[in-house]
Amino acid sequence: MGGPRVINTNTSSGNLIRDSALGLVPETLDYYLALNRKIWECGPLTPAEIEIARLRNARTVNCVFCKSVRYDIAKADGLTEDKIAMIQDDFRDSDLTEREKLIIAFTDQFLNNPSGLTAELKIALLAEFTSRALVHLSLAVAHFSGFSRCAVSLGGMPDELPTMEISLPQ
Amino acid sequence: MGWVSSGDDRDSTIGELAELVAPFDALYASLWTQQHLPADILELCRLRLAQLHQCSVELQRHEIKMSAEKYQRLAFWGEDSVFSQAERACLAFTEVYAMDVQALTDQHADAVKMHFGDAGLVLLVEALGILDGMTRLSLLWQLTANAEQPNAPGQLL
Repeated sequence: MGGPRVINTNTSSGNLIRDSALGLVPETLDYYLALNRKIWECGPLTPAEIEIARLRNARTVNCVFCKSVRYDIAKADGLTEDKIAMIQDDFRDSDLTEREKLIIAFTDQFLNNPSGLTAELKIALLAEFTSRALVHLSLAVAHFSGFSRCAVSLGGMPDELPTMEISLPQ
Repeated sequence: MGWVSSGDDRDSTIGELAELVAPFDALYASLWTQQHLPADILELCRLRLAQLHQCSVELQRHEIKMSAEKYQRLAFWGEDSVFSQAERACLAFTEVYAMDVQALTDQHADAVKMHFGDAGLVLLVEALGILDGMTRLSLLWQLTANAEQPNAPGQLL
Protein backbone atom coordinates (compact mmCIF):
# COMPACT_ATOMS: atom_id res chain seq x y z
CA MET A 1 0.00 0.00 0.00
CA GLY A 2 1.35 3.45 -0.89
CA GLY A 3 0.73 6.46 1.28
CA PRO A 4 -2.05 8.96 0.77
CA ARG A 5 -1.25 11.57 -1.87
CA VAL A 6 -3.17 14.26 -0.01
CA ILE A 7 -3.83 14.76 3.69
CA ASN A 8 -6.68 16.74 5.17
CA THR A 9 -5.41 17.87 8.57
CA ASN A 10 -8.75 19.41 9.54
CA THR A 11 -10.52 16.17 10.43
CA SER A 12 -12.57 16.80 13.50
CA SER A 13 -16.16 16.85 12.29
CA GLY A 14 -16.79 13.12 12.63
CA ASN A 15 -18.31 13.15 9.16
CA LEU A 16 -16.70 10.51 6.93
CA ILE A 17 -16.77 12.69 3.83
CA ARG A 18 -16.04 16.08 5.38
CA ASP A 19 -13.02 14.62 7.17
CA SER A 20 -11.71 13.02 3.98
CA ALA A 21 -9.54 14.76 1.40
CA LEU A 22 -12.72 16.12 -0.18
CA GLY A 23 -12.84 18.48 2.78
CA LEU A 24 -9.94 20.40 1.24
CA VAL A 25 -12.32 21.81 -1.37
CA PRO A 26 -15.17 23.38 0.60
CA GLU A 27 -16.52 25.12 -2.51
CA THR A 28 -17.82 21.80 -3.84
CA LEU A 29 -18.25 19.77 -0.66
CA ASP A 30 -21.76 20.80 0.36
CA TYR A 31 -23.03 20.35 -3.19
CA TYR A 32 -21.38 16.95 -3.35
CA LEU A 33 -23.03 15.82 -0.12
CA ALA A 34 -26.38 17.26 -1.16
CA LEU A 35 -26.38 15.32 -4.42
CA ASN A 36 -25.33 12.16 -2.60
CA ARG A 37 -28.25 12.49 -0.18
CA LYS A 38 -30.74 13.12 -2.99
CA ILE A 39 -29.54 10.05 -4.86
CA TRP A 40 -30.23 7.90 -1.81
CA GLU A 41 -33.41 9.56 -0.62
CA CYS A 42 -35.20 10.67 -3.78
CA GLY A 43 -36.13 8.85 -6.89
CA PRO A 44 -37.83 5.60 -7.76
CA LEU A 45 -35.09 3.08 -6.97
CA THR A 46 -35.01 1.66 -3.46
CA PRO A 47 -31.94 2.01 -1.20
CA ALA A 48 -31.28 -1.73 -1.57
CA GLU A 49 -31.28 -1.39 -5.37
CA ILE A 50 -28.99 1.64 -5.22
CA GLU A 51 -26.62 -0.26 -2.92
CA ILE A 52 -26.38 -3.13 -5.40
CA ALA A 53 -25.25 -0.69 -8.10
CA ARG A 54 -22.83 1.01 -5.70
CA LEU A 55 -21.24 -2.25 -4.61
CA ARG A 56 -20.95 -3.50 -8.19
CA ASN A 57 -19.14 -0.29 -9.10
CA ALA A 58 -16.90 -0.55 -6.03
CA ARG A 59 -15.95 -4.07 -6.98
CA THR A 60 -15.12 -3.20 -10.59
CA VAL A 61 -13.18 0.00 -9.85
CA ASN A 62 -11.59 -1.89 -6.93
CA CYS A 63 -12.05 0.79 -4.33
CA VAL A 64 -11.31 -1.09 -1.11
CA PHE A 65 -13.00 1.53 1.00
CA CYS A 66 -16.19 1.54 -1.12
CA LYS A 67 -16.28 -2.26 -1.11
CA SER A 68 -16.10 -2.40 2.67
CA VAL A 69 -18.93 0.05 3.31
CA ARG A 70 -22.60 -0.87 3.77
CA TYR A 71 -25.17 1.89 3.92
CA ASP A 72 -27.51 1.31 6.84
CA ILE A 73 -30.55 2.45 4.86
CA ALA A 74 -29.89 -0.29 2.32
CA LYS A 75 -29.65 -2.91 5.05
CA ALA A 76 -32.84 -1.56 6.59
CA ASP A 77 -34.41 -1.88 3.16
CA GLY A 78 -33.68 -5.60 3.21
CA LEU A 79 -30.32 -5.99 1.51
CA THR A 80 -28.54 -8.91 3.17
CA GLU A 81 -24.91 -10.04 3.09
CA ASP A 82 -26.09 -13.21 1.38
CA LYS A 83 -27.46 -11.11 -1.46
CA ILE A 84 -24.38 -8.91 -1.55
CA ALA A 85 -22.27 -12.05 -1.94
CA MET A 86 -24.11 -12.72 -5.20
CA ILE A 87 -22.76 -9.52 -6.81
CA GLN A 88 -19.96 -11.52 -8.41
CA ASP A 89 -18.80 -12.43 -11.92
CA ASP A 90 -21.40 -15.18 -12.10
CA PHE A 91 -24.29 -12.99 -10.91
CA ARG A 92 -26.43 -14.11 -13.88
CA ASP A 93 -26.61 -17.61 -12.41
CA SER A 94 -27.41 -16.36 -8.91
CA ASP A 95 -30.69 -16.06 -7.04
CA LEU A 96 -30.79 -12.30 -7.56
CA THR A 97 -34.04 -11.12 -9.14
CA GLU A 98 -34.11 -10.27 -12.81
CA ARG A 99 -34.47 -6.60 -11.86
CA GLU A 100 -31.36 -6.78 -9.67
CA LYS A 101 -29.45 -8.55 -12.44
CA LEU A 102 -30.42 -5.75 -14.84
CA ILE A 103 -29.11 -3.17 -12.36
CA ILE A 104 -25.76 -4.96 -12.39
CA ALA A 105 -25.79 -5.31 -16.18
CA PHE A 106 -26.45 -1.58 -16.57
CA THR A 107 -23.65 -0.76 -14.12
CA ASP A 108 -21.26 -3.04 -16.01
CA GLN A 109 -22.21 -1.38 -19.29
CA PHE A 110 -21.47 2.06 -17.86
CA LEU A 111 -18.12 0.95 -16.47
CA ASN A 112 -16.85 -1.33 -19.20
CA ASN A 113 -18.33 -0.27 -22.52
CA PRO A 114 -20.73 2.67 -22.38
CA SER A 115 -20.88 3.02 -26.16
CA GLY A 116 -21.58 -0.67 -26.74
CA LEU A 117 -25.09 -1.12 -25.38
CA THR A 118 -26.80 -4.01 -27.15
CA ALA A 119 -30.38 -3.88 -28.40
CA GLU A 120 -31.15 -6.88 -26.22
CA LEU A 121 -30.09 -5.18 -23.00
CA LYS A 122 -31.78 -1.94 -24.00
CA ILE A 123 -35.09 -3.72 -24.56
CA ALA A 124 -34.79 -5.56 -21.25
CA LEU A 125 -34.04 -2.34 -19.36
CA LEU A 126 -36.95 -0.49 -20.93
CA ALA A 127 -39.29 -3.36 -20.10
CA GLU A 128 -38.28 -3.33 -16.43
CA PHE A 129 -37.61 0.32 -15.58
CA THR A 130 -39.39 3.61 -16.13
CA SER A 131 -37.51 6.53 -17.62
CA ARG A 132 -37.29 8.08 -14.17
CA ALA A 133 -35.80 4.90 -12.76
CA LEU A 134 -33.25 4.67 -15.57
CA VAL A 135 -32.15 8.27 -15.00
CA HIS A 136 -31.95 7.58 -11.27
CA LEU A 137 -29.82 4.50 -11.86
CA SER A 138 -27.65 6.39 -14.34
CA LEU A 139 -26.89 9.27 -12.01
CA ALA A 140 -26.32 6.94 -9.08
CA VAL A 141 -23.80 4.84 -10.99
CA ALA A 142 -22.02 7.92 -12.37
CA HIS A 143 -21.83 9.42 -8.89
CA PHE A 144 -20.50 6.25 -7.28
CA SER A 145 -18.01 5.70 -10.08
CA GLY A 146 -16.67 9.21 -9.60
CA PHE A 147 -16.36 8.76 -5.85
CA SER A 148 -14.59 5.41 -6.14
CA ARG A 149 -12.14 6.73 -8.72
CA CYS A 150 -11.54 9.78 -6.56
CA ALA A 151 -10.68 7.59 -3.57
CA VAL A 152 -8.36 5.40 -5.64
CA SER A 153 -6.68 8.42 -7.27
CA LEU A 154 -5.81 9.98 -3.96
CA GLY A 155 -3.88 6.90 -2.84
CA GLY A 156 -3.37 5.40 0.59
CA MET A 157 -5.90 2.63 0.00
CA PRO A 158 -5.27 -0.41 2.23
CA ASP A 159 -5.30 -3.88 0.71
CA GLU A 160 -8.45 -4.73 2.64
CA LEU A 161 -10.79 -3.35 5.24
CA PRO A 162 -13.41 -4.96 7.46
CA THR A 163 -17.04 -4.47 6.50
CA MET A 164 -18.45 -1.37 8.15
CA GLU A 165 -21.98 -0.03 8.25
CA ILE A 166 -22.41 3.71 7.85
CA SER A 167 -25.24 6.20 7.77
CA LEU A 168 -25.77 8.65 4.97
CA PRO A 169 -23.17 11.44 5.41
CA GLN A 170 -24.83 14.79 6.11
CA MET B 1 -33.22 11.56 -28.90
CA GLY B 2 -31.73 9.00 -26.57
CA TRP B 3 -33.49 5.82 -25.50
CA VAL B 4 -33.68 6.46 -21.76
CA SER B 5 -36.22 9.26 -21.96
CA SER B 6 -37.85 11.65 -24.40
CA GLY B 7 -34.99 14.07 -23.79
CA ASP B 8 -32.52 14.70 -26.58
CA ASP B 9 -29.63 16.04 -24.53
CA ARG B 10 -28.10 15.70 -21.08
CA ASP B 11 -30.18 18.40 -19.40
CA SER B 12 -33.51 17.17 -20.67
CA THR B 13 -32.63 13.57 -19.84
CA ILE B 14 -31.65 14.42 -16.26
CA GLY B 15 -34.78 16.58 -16.18
CA GLU B 16 -36.78 13.37 -16.23
CA LEU B 17 -35.95 13.13 -12.52
CA ALA B 18 -36.72 16.63 -11.31
CA GLU B 19 -35.57 15.96 -7.74
CA LEU B 20 -31.97 15.58 -8.86
CA VAL B 21 -31.74 18.46 -11.32
CA ALA B 22 -30.95 21.25 -8.87
CA PRO B 23 -28.38 19.35 -6.77
CA PHE B 24 -26.63 18.04 -9.87
CA ASP B 25 -26.56 21.46 -11.54
CA ALA B 26 -25.25 23.09 -8.37
CA LEU B 27 -22.40 20.62 -8.03
CA TYR B 28 -21.53 20.80 -11.71
CA ALA B 29 -21.52 24.60 -11.67
CA SER B 30 -19.30 24.68 -8.59
CA LEU B 31 -16.55 22.90 -10.49
CA TRP B 32 -16.16 25.89 -12.80
CA THR B 33 -16.14 28.60 -10.16
CA GLN B 34 -13.87 27.16 -7.46
CA GLN B 35 -10.47 28.73 -6.78
CA HIS B 36 -8.14 25.72 -6.77
CA LEU B 37 -7.82 24.80 -10.44
CA PRO B 38 -8.29 27.21 -13.35
CA ALA B 39 -11.49 26.54 -15.24
CA ASP B 40 -9.74 26.61 -18.61
CA ILE B 41 -7.46 23.76 -17.52
CA LEU B 42 -10.48 21.82 -16.32
CA GLU B 43 -12.08 22.37 -19.72
CA LEU B 44 -8.97 20.97 -21.41
CA CYS B 45 -9.20 17.88 -19.21
CA ARG B 46 -12.92 17.51 -19.91
CA LEU B 47 -12.32 17.68 -23.66
CA ARG B 48 -9.44 15.23 -23.45
CA LEU B 49 -11.72 12.79 -21.65
CA ALA B 50 -14.26 13.25 -24.45
CA GLN B 51 -11.57 12.55 -27.03
CA LEU B 52 -10.43 9.41 -25.26
CA HIS B 53 -14.02 8.18 -24.94
CA GLN B 54 -14.71 9.24 -28.55
CA CYS B 55 -17.80 11.10 -27.38
CA SER B 56 -18.93 13.59 -30.02
CA VAL B 57 -21.67 15.06 -27.82
CA GLU B 58 -19.19 16.07 -25.14
CA LEU B 59 -16.79 17.41 -27.76
CA GLN B 60 -19.51 19.74 -29.00
CA ARG B 61 -20.12 21.05 -25.49
CA HIS B 62 -18.25 24.19 -24.49
CA GLU B 63 -18.06 25.01 -20.80
CA ILE B 64 -15.31 27.60 -21.16
CA LYS B 65 -14.34 29.59 -24.22
CA MET B 66 -10.83 28.63 -25.25
CA SER B 67 -8.41 29.40 -28.04
CA ALA B 68 -9.00 27.46 -31.23
CA GLU B 69 -5.31 26.63 -31.25
CA LYS B 70 -5.54 24.63 -28.03
CA TYR B 71 -8.67 22.84 -29.17
CA GLN B 72 -6.97 21.83 -32.39
CA ARG B 73 -3.79 20.64 -30.71
CA LEU B 74 -5.27 18.99 -27.67
CA ALA B 75 -4.78 15.44 -28.92
CA PHE B 76 -1.07 16.20 -29.24
CA TRP B 77 -0.63 18.04 -25.95
CA GLY B 78 2.37 15.94 -24.98
CA GLU B 79 4.51 17.25 -27.80
CA ASP B 80 3.13 20.76 -28.25
CA SER B 81 4.65 23.80 -26.55
CA VAL B 82 1.35 25.65 -26.69
CA PHE B 83 0.47 23.81 -23.47
CA SER B 84 2.02 24.98 -20.23
CA GLN B 85 3.69 22.69 -17.70
CA ALA B 86 0.68 23.02 -15.44
CA GLU B 87 -1.68 22.04 -18.26
CA ARG B 88 0.52 19.10 -19.18
CA ALA B 89 0.56 17.84 -15.61
CA CYS B 90 -3.23 17.87 -15.47
CA LEU B 91 -3.63 16.33 -18.92
CA ALA B 92 -1.15 13.57 -18.10
CA PHE B 93 -3.12 12.81 -14.95
CA THR B 94 -6.38 12.87 -16.92
CA GLU B 95 -5.15 10.43 -19.53
CA VAL B 96 -4.05 7.82 -17.01
CA TYR B 97 -7.23 8.40 -15.01
CA ALA B 98 -9.32 7.70 -18.10
CA MET B 99 -7.47 4.54 -19.04
CA ASP B 100 -6.85 2.93 -15.64
CA VAL B 101 -7.27 4.86 -12.44
CA GLN B 102 -5.30 2.18 -10.58
CA ALA B 103 -2.27 3.04 -12.74
CA LEU B 104 -1.96 6.59 -11.39
CA THR B 105 1.32 7.10 -9.57
CA ASP B 106 2.64 9.46 -6.92
CA GLN B 107 4.55 11.17 -9.71
CA HIS B 108 1.34 11.99 -11.58
CA ALA B 109 -0.14 13.41 -8.39
CA ASP B 110 3.00 15.31 -7.41
CA ALA B 111 3.16 16.96 -10.84
CA VAL B 112 -0.34 18.38 -10.35
CA LYS B 113 0.33 19.36 -6.74
CA MET B 114 3.46 21.22 -7.77
CA HIS B 115 1.26 23.72 -9.57
CA PHE B 116 -2.02 23.61 -7.68
CA GLY B 117 -1.33 22.14 -4.25
CA ASP B 118 -3.23 19.43 -2.41
CA ALA B 119 -6.60 21.11 -2.88
CA GLY B 120 -5.97 21.45 -6.61
CA LEU B 121 -5.34 17.73 -6.89
CA VAL B 122 -8.48 16.93 -4.90
CA LEU B 123 -10.53 19.24 -7.10
CA LEU B 124 -9.10 17.64 -10.22
CA VAL B 125 -9.98 14.08 -9.18
CA GLU B 126 -13.40 15.14 -7.95
CA ALA B 127 -14.08 16.93 -11.23
CA LEU B 128 -12.73 14.10 -13.36
CA GLY B 129 -15.13 11.75 -11.62
CA ILE B 130 -18.10 13.91 -12.56
CA LEU B 131 -16.88 14.70 -16.07
CA ASP B 132 -15.96 11.10 -16.82
CA GLY B 133 -19.35 10.01 -15.50
CA MET B 134 -21.23 12.48 -17.68
CA THR B 135 -19.23 11.46 -20.73
CA ARG B 136 -20.00 7.80 -20.11
CA LEU B 137 -23.68 8.62 -19.68
CA SER B 138 -23.80 10.58 -22.94
CA LEU B 139 -22.51 7.44 -24.65
CA LEU B 140 -24.70 5.01 -22.72
CA TRP B 141 -27.80 7.15 -23.27
CA GLN B 142 -26.87 7.25 -26.96
CA LEU B 143 -27.26 11.01 -27.17
CA THR B 144 -26.37 12.31 -30.60
CA ALA B 145 -24.30 15.32 -31.57
CA ASN B 146 -26.06 18.23 -33.22
CA ALA B 147 -25.43 17.79 -36.93
CA GLU B 148 -25.90 21.51 -37.55
CA GLN B 149 -23.32 22.52 -34.98
CA PRO B 150 -19.65 22.43 -35.94
CA ASN B 151 -17.69 19.87 -33.99
CA ALA B 152 -15.08 21.11 -31.61
CA PRO B 153 -11.81 21.11 -33.54
CA GLY B 154 -10.12 19.10 -30.82
CA GLN B 155 -12.00 15.91 -31.52
CA LEU B 156 -9.16 14.28 -33.44
CA LEU B 157 -7.59 11.49 -31.46
